[in-house]
Amino acid sequence: MRYILSLLLFISPFLTFSQEGFPLNGVEDVRDNHYAFTNANIIVDYNTKIENGTLIIKNGIITNVGKDITIPEGIRKFDLSGNYIYPSFIDLYTNYAIVENKSRSSSSGWMSSYNNPQMLSNKDGAFSWNESIRPEYNSVENIKFDQKKSNDLRKEGFGSVVSHNMDGIMRGTGTFVSLANDVEQNIILREKASNHFSFMKGSSRQRYPSSLMGAVALMKQSFFDAEWYKANSGKLSQTNLSLSSINDNKGLPKIIEVSDKLRVLLAQKIEKEVGVKFLIKGQGDEYQRIIEIKEGNSDLIIPINYPKPYNVDDPFKNKDILLSQLKHWEMAPSNPYFLEKNGINFSITSHGIKNLSDFRKNLIKSHERGASKSTLLKALTYNPSKFINMDHKIGSLKESFIANFFISDGDIFSRETKILSNWAQGKWHRVADSNINDYEGNYSLVFDTEDNKKIASLILNVTGSKDNPSASILSVSKSDSLRIKTKIIVDDENINISFNIPKGKSGITSGEYKLSGYFSKDRFLGKGTLNNFDWIDWVATKNDSQLMDQDTNKKQNIKKDIGIGKVIYPFVEYGTETLKSQQKILIRGAKLWTLEGDGIIEKGDVLIENGKIVDVGEEISINEKNIKIIDGNGMHLTPGIIDEHSHIALFGVNEGSQSNTAEVRIKDVVNSEDVNIYRQLAGGVTTSQLLHGSANAIGGQSAIVKFRWGSSPEDMIIEEADEYIKFALGENVKRSRAPSSTRFPDTRMGVEQVYIDAFNRARIYENKWKKYNSLTKKEKLSAIIPRKDIELDALSQILNGKMHITCHSYVQSEINMLMKVAEKFDFKVNTFTHILEGYKVADIMARHGAGAGSFSDWWAYKNEVKEAIPYNAALMSQAGVVTSINSDSREMARRLNQEAGKSIKYGNMSEVEAMKLVTLNPAKLLNLDHRIGSIKIGKDADLVLWNDNPLSIYSKPLKTLVDGKIYYDIEEDEILREEIKRERARIISKMKNSNTPMGGRRKPIKTAHFELHCEDEYDYQSTSEN
Amino acid sequence: MNKIYFLIFFFISQIIFSQVPEPVSEQDKAIILYNAEVHVGDGTIFKNGYVCFDSGKITHVGDFDDLILSDFQDHLQIDLNKKLIYPGLILPISKVGLEEISAIRATLDHTEIGDINSNIRTLTSYNTDSEMIPTFRYNGILLSQVAPDGDLITGNSSVMMMEGWNWEDAAYKVDNGIHVKWPRKTYPPSRWSGSTEFRVNSNYKSTVDKIHKFLIDSRSYYNRRGSIDENNLKLEAMSDVFSGKKKVYIHANSREQIIESVQTFKRHGINDLVIVGANDAYYTIDFIKENNLPILLNNIHRTPSRNHEDIDLPYKLPYLLYKEGVLVGLTASGSLHSQRNLPFLAGTSVAYGVPKEEALKMISYNTAKILGIDDVTGSLEVGKDANIVVSKGDILDMRTSQIVHAFITGREINLDGKQQILYDRFKRKYSE
Repeated sequence: MRYILSLLLFISPFLTFSQEGFPLNGVEDVRDNHYAFTNANIIVDYNTKIENGTLIIKNGIITNVGKDITIPEGIRKFDLSGNYIYPSFIDLYTNYAIVENKSRSSSSGWMSSYNNPQMLSNKDGAFSWNESIRPEYNSVENIKFDQKKSNDLRKEGFGSVVSHNMDGIMRGTGTFVSLANDVEQNIILREKASNHFSFMKGSSRQRYPSSLMGAVALMKQSFFDAEWYKANSGKLSQTNLSLSSINDNKGLPKIIEVSDKLRVLLAQKIEKEVGVKFLIKGQGDEYQRIIEIKEGNSDLIIPINYPKPYNVDDPFKNKDILLSQLKHWEMAPSNPYFLEKNGINFSITSHGIKNLSDFRKNLIKSHERGASKSTLLKALTYNPSKFINMDHKIGSLKESFIANFFISDGDIFSRETKILSNWAQGKWHRVADSNINDYEGNYSLVFDTEDNKKIASLILNVTGSKDNPSASILSVSKSDSLRIKTKIIVDDENINISFNIPKGKSGITSGEYKLSGYFSKDRFLGKGTLNNFDWIDWVATKNDSQLMDQDTNKKQNIKKDIGIGKVIYPFVEYGTETLKSQQKILIRGAKLWTLEGDGIIEKGDVLIENGKIVDVGEEISINEKNIKIIDGNGMHLTPGIIDEHSHIALFGVNEGSQSNTAEVRIKDVVNSEDVNIYRQLAGGVTTSQLLHGSANAIGGQSAIVKFRWGSSPEDMIIEEADEYIKFALGENVKRSRAPSSTRFPDTRMGVEQVYIDAFNRARIYENKWKKYNSLTKKEKLSAIIPRKDIELDALSQILNGKMHITCHSYVQSEINMLMKVAEKFDFKVNTFTHILEGYKVADIMARHGAGAGSFSDWWAYKNEVKEAIPYNAALMSQAGVVTSINSDSREMARRLNQEAGKSIKYGNMSEVEAMKLVTLNPAKLLNLDHRIGSIKIGKDADLVLWNDNPLSIYSKPLKTLVDGKIYYDIEEDEILREEIKRERARIISKMKNSNTPMGGRRKPIKTAHFELHCEDEYDYQSTSEN
Repeated sequence: MNKIYFLIFFFISQIIFSQVPEPVSEQDKAIILYNAEVHVGDGTIFKNGYVCFDSGKITHVGDFDDLILSDFQDHLQIDLNKKLIYPGLILPISKVGLEEISAIRATLDHTEIGDINSNIRTLTSYNTDSEMIPTFRYNGILLSQVAPDGDLITGNSSVMMMEGWNWEDAAYKVDNGIHVKWPRKTYPPSRWSGSTEFRVNSNYKSTVDKIHKFLIDSRSYYNRRGSIDENNLKLEAMSDVFSGKKKVYIHANSREQIIESVQTFKRHGINDLVIVGANDAYYTIDFIKENNLPILLNNIHRTPSRNHEDIDLPYKLPYLLYKEGVLVGLTASGSLHSQRNLPFLAGTSVAYGVPKEEALKMISYNTAKILGIDDVTGSLEVGKDANIVVSKGDILDMRTSQIVHAFITGREINLDGKQQILYDRFKRKYSE
């Protein structure tokens, strides 16, 4: 058998790049490559195996496959007894052979693009206004055969890939190509196989979008624009080739790359909003949010680029490794198993693996972690072909399918198995040089020297792979356990062996032995020198010694994994294995800060059921047993703290690229895995408004969340809360800190006009739709359908009172201005936030009906806050403005109760009124006071139990409840701390003992957790590459 | 008629433009504060106590009984009605007087060009008319060590009073320390790079060598003082360090930074060291104890540096150090305006384990020791300067802190500033 396969070396030794219709330089050489492969274990598809089967191919197509089939006479038969034939793997996520267009100039740094932003596309032609929207791009037009990469992929078993240019939010089409060594004309299996998307703007230097939420908005708007373009086909006076392309490629599978498990959920949300279905390329951390991902019902493409262990030798450096990094190192290889267990359909990509030769190792690891062979095979063959609607052509070994398969000497899920050859489009490609020259074994080494005839007392032991063997010289005599380090180098057919024999070994001449030779029929032979002087003849003949077997057994034993940790929610420190649950709770005998009526009940009880407060009073009697009783004696119970202005738990805060970005939504970028959520629960915070920043006059839409620690982003968002949007005034909007700026507006005068213009346009927009909607069916046919604009949609919601404004503001003039603009357009400004000069216009605000969210005592950090005073909250309250104190700081939010307490010092507020500043008042500002903000029957059981007066610096929350679930408990916190330490220790010691050499390990390095403030504006860039 | 208008205008403009209260003149009459809870600052409390001071110095302090009053007939007698007396609080690292509006460059005088600025001094730039000063005094902070900012060797700090006509008046201890910003081994990633991994500072070694060489040269300069013809201002400025008159304040946060900086200075025979910052003190307690290092601890109102750390690690850090016998003073580093919350940092450390009087020390007595001014202030001990604060309630808790009197070297200062003037103005407006 080996002998026959070795013949393959001579069958197809060079490539014949030729095709019909092309001029020929020489004589025509067309071959039909008609072969039969017999006696093989044929994996027809992921769950069908034929033993002793035959596969026949001709002209790149499978002509027959089966057990007892007739083989056309005369064709070459290859006996593959003991070998396997697999359908080649298919990778849907590559940029294989893509020629990148000229790289755009990156000379303009971030700062200059900030001062002097590129607002429109620099691309020539009738395309989108935004360079990251490039649906017109066709990868097939930019393919250049890549010999090295195709070889690397074939070595791992791949036979075809979808390739696309990974650049932009709409990336155009991907092309499906085989990995045959051939010219571009011959390898394209489908010109346009897929349509590609991402939330990353790529090489575009345009300022917009500068955030993830901006990317989402731009993608959505582009889909809507395409629909509008199509619906008005023939009626519009404009041409947009980008929009045409979106429409033209509508039927192709849509592959979207996302940067982590939460963005899988985001893609699932967006696809519903725009009415498409995505095939989602994740990052391999899906197991961390598997339940929610499953609910989204998506097919996935996942990488198996499992992380490398850290060098964990320095205990102080280890402190910089995150628990999530440790756990992901341990759990990542189980990701395919989690997907399989949850019935999620997926395909596997090699994308993200730095060293492609790790691919099969990681595939095998995935199997060892529980993913079944058939699922993994399916993920590499049938699923990818099915996902791109090519399952009738490729992905299985059936008649009339493309002849893409590889031959291995065993089960592909065994570490010892080697892929021998890879056949793409019926063309042979060498992978391993078959196993004929597998040198592993023991050899009797015999020399022929002039003074030392025929010494047979040495054994040459060769281990390792064919390409990279290692060797040692052993002595046969039992008494003399000689083991000599030996160097063996294989250079194609030429083999070098060198070693030194020390003095005093009986019967062997000491000295330097340098041997050169070749391998033939189970033996090495050739010539060499002794001490660089005497020429010697040598031969090393293989014997059937069993010496090796012990070693092989050992190897297999190492790989068993034991004791893998559990998934925690969220997948960071202080996450827990199980989510919190509701129960019936009675809190007894606490001082109740009800903030209703008289404000305080000196000693009272609160009964909680189904997440709601069902009774409040003195000595509530219950006769149930199944109830948790919390003794509140000597303690204080308050409503949960509400932070009206927060930026924690977010991926990005500003889409500051344009003065009006009403279309972006903070809800798209909520990060449920931010440990600050837990830290703030520990400070009594239960609800926060997560706001867009203040980089532009009209920012983005808010997310009002409850801190349901462990839930997904979507589950944190308060159901049926009103919509809010962030506006901003003053220095940030004007970009006063930049040395110069060319973005409108540059003055407070301009800011006013931004608003008037925006609302004016929103009016016109509304009217256009009103007019269109009032047309008869017939009139509609000839009319132009107005364009759906998600920015103007938001603004028109403001006009209609369906979306409320939270406006960042400082000085009195601008506060007054916005109220006048609102009055002009007949709506109210809901909240002015920060508003440090609010005390100067509090009477006007009260008349307008605006509320205020302020800092307690911040001032002097910029010019517009030089007249800020800590009495602001007290004065505004005095004037009748609903006032809250907010944080805008992840740390201060943990002590908002104390910030409220400062209003006693500054302004002499009563304790009850001071407490309302961080509870009931912000609830009112968020129009949620019917649900939260006080202790009242029927309201949500969002409560905090304190050990002391909650306005005092000495008080600490003992328990924090959201929806009647205890999300923070000072005693449980102790346990969690202990668990974190234990889990870290467990994994670190496992890491220490893993058999990755030092060179293959990562250095522990600290991870930054940027705190986001109002003013933070920075470009996000593609971060999906490892 | 015109005259009257002019006078009215003049009066109004005084209110508007004189928001920083006028400095007061020296104590001319002995004062006794009695019927008060006296927190001496060294751990002692006189539940019903009194404090006397004359010519700017404390003359008596102790338990009060009615008999005492007759002994102090010549004193101005102030019945405090159970209020609390504290030593004036000390802000150990601040830019007060060197910064007005942090976003406006023109108002900043704390960071000089260059990285070896041993000759730079904050003293002469201290602006006694800073609008910041009244806000600090309002919370009981009467002294501040004003330190320069910048890279590496940033210059000399001086301890300043929060009162005075000019910097000369306000100086409390001149050029008392050299400040060193120890280089970082890693930097945070740039925010817009998309990366979240810290970057290794490839210049770390060469930067440390710069300090090393500066210490060699300045030591050599000091040893040859008197025999050198040409003065070198930068080397000269180090002489007081070698003679033991000046401390070195090392601003360092990580374990590596603390160990490497202290080892470096000790190797050069400089042993009077203070660590400023010490965010990672928790991981460095062994070294801090072994070397007897006093710590001016970075603002404890911050989030933990690492996810896995105890969520209250910064809050309880003072306790963890106190428990080990480390001399700790609290700093309110961060934005200047927020430094007025210094007493509440001590309050937080109480909530997380430090006994109350020990926490008070961390913003008074300990700080005075660390700054080398405990011979004249930091506690209400006889013979020390009468730097005294009187509050209606516990000064460490915002719920109760209401400062009603403050004395700097015996002079009762005006506590109100621009913020109180604006408050009064609008309170009146909305009461009408």
